[in-house]
Amino acid sequence: MAGNENSACKNMEEDLVLYYYKEVSGAQQTRVENHIKECAPCRLYMQEMASILPSTVMNDDPPETFWTDYNREMRLKLSEVREKKAWWQSLLGLLQPWPRSAIAMAAVVALALTITLGKTFWRSQEPPPDDQALIEELPVAENLEFFKNMEVLDAMDFLESSDSPAKGTT
Amino acid sequence: MKLGDEQLVALAQKGDQTAFEELVQRHQQKAYRIAFDFARDREEAKDLSQEAFLRAYTHLNNFDGRSGFYTWFYRILVNICLDYKRRQKRAPAEEFNETVENQIEPSHPTGNLATPDQQVIASQLSRKVGEALESLPPKQRTAFILKNHQGLSIREIAEIMQTAEGTVKVHLHRAVRALREDLSEFA
Repeated sequence: MAGNENSACKNMEEDLVLYYYKEVSGAQQTRVENHIKECAPCRLYMQEMASILPSTVMNDDPPETFWTDYNREMRLKLSEVREKKAWWQSLLGLLQPWPRSAIAMAAVVALALTITLGKTFWRSQEPPPDDQALIEELPVAENLEFFKNMEVLDAMDFLESSDSPAKGTT
Repeated sequence: MKLGDEQLVALAQKGDQTAFEELVQRHQQKAYRIAFDFARDREEAKDLSQEAFLRAYTHLNNFDGRSGFYTWFYRILVNICLDYKRRQKRAPAEEFNETVENQIEPSHPTGNLATPDQQVIASQLSRKVGEALESLPPKQRTAFILKNHQGLSIREIAEIMQTAEGTVKVHLHRAVRALREDLSEFA
């Protein structure tokens, strides 16, 4: 597949990049080299890579004093880390004489205390139940009165319907 | 007899402080250069590479020798550099642009160039390269920097990035294609 004037052959692009970085060998290398000989757009692609890619590297060569400072700072930072490490190790060392069972027992007691105290706290937060129940019961009571009245009306309808055939027959 | 990296790590793991300092001495220049390729600023590169050494020192007991110290350490360093870039991207746009300018100008000395025109072109190229690298996705940027700037092999890059060699090749190819498009005017 031949590339147009501005781009390399699509199926060769990755191989060209790897060839540029000397990451191909053997048969693959020969194939790329033969292709470049025949394909002008791929040749141009190689030339562009050779022109652009080295320019992306920024060379920085710090002076000797920079490295002196670097090493001094590094030693200082490492000693700080060591001090911190030593502090933790001494803290762990304090706990070490205690038998594991004692530490486990202390943890269980702490957990039990948390649960007990927590329950007491949450109970004291709940509102008194009596007032709330009264408020909820009031509309129910009103509805009951209404339904009672409806029952009387139903009874009257029943009496009327039971009377009417009797009236007819008489 | 000069000790190998892994022997120095073993000594450092046992508490030998000078052994780790020897490892720092051995790798500091390369670590600094990788950090500089990501940060494009001398002070930031110093801080990032030193942070990588400190993190390696703190987690030295996690090093199990399955990969070389070199691979393990540069993985830490690359992750720190990528975190730094992520933090930098979250910064406000104006601040970011200003930072990029400050980073690029001092490192590309334009004073030695013959004409003012050449100086202008060099300065433009420097800025454009910085922008083009910034615009690459992190994995492409990492593969490109480790290959193009540091000259590591695809296999080494794959080990550092903890990915397949084929994936590194794809990242590298995409990075080169994007940079070629962005920088074609300077070809």
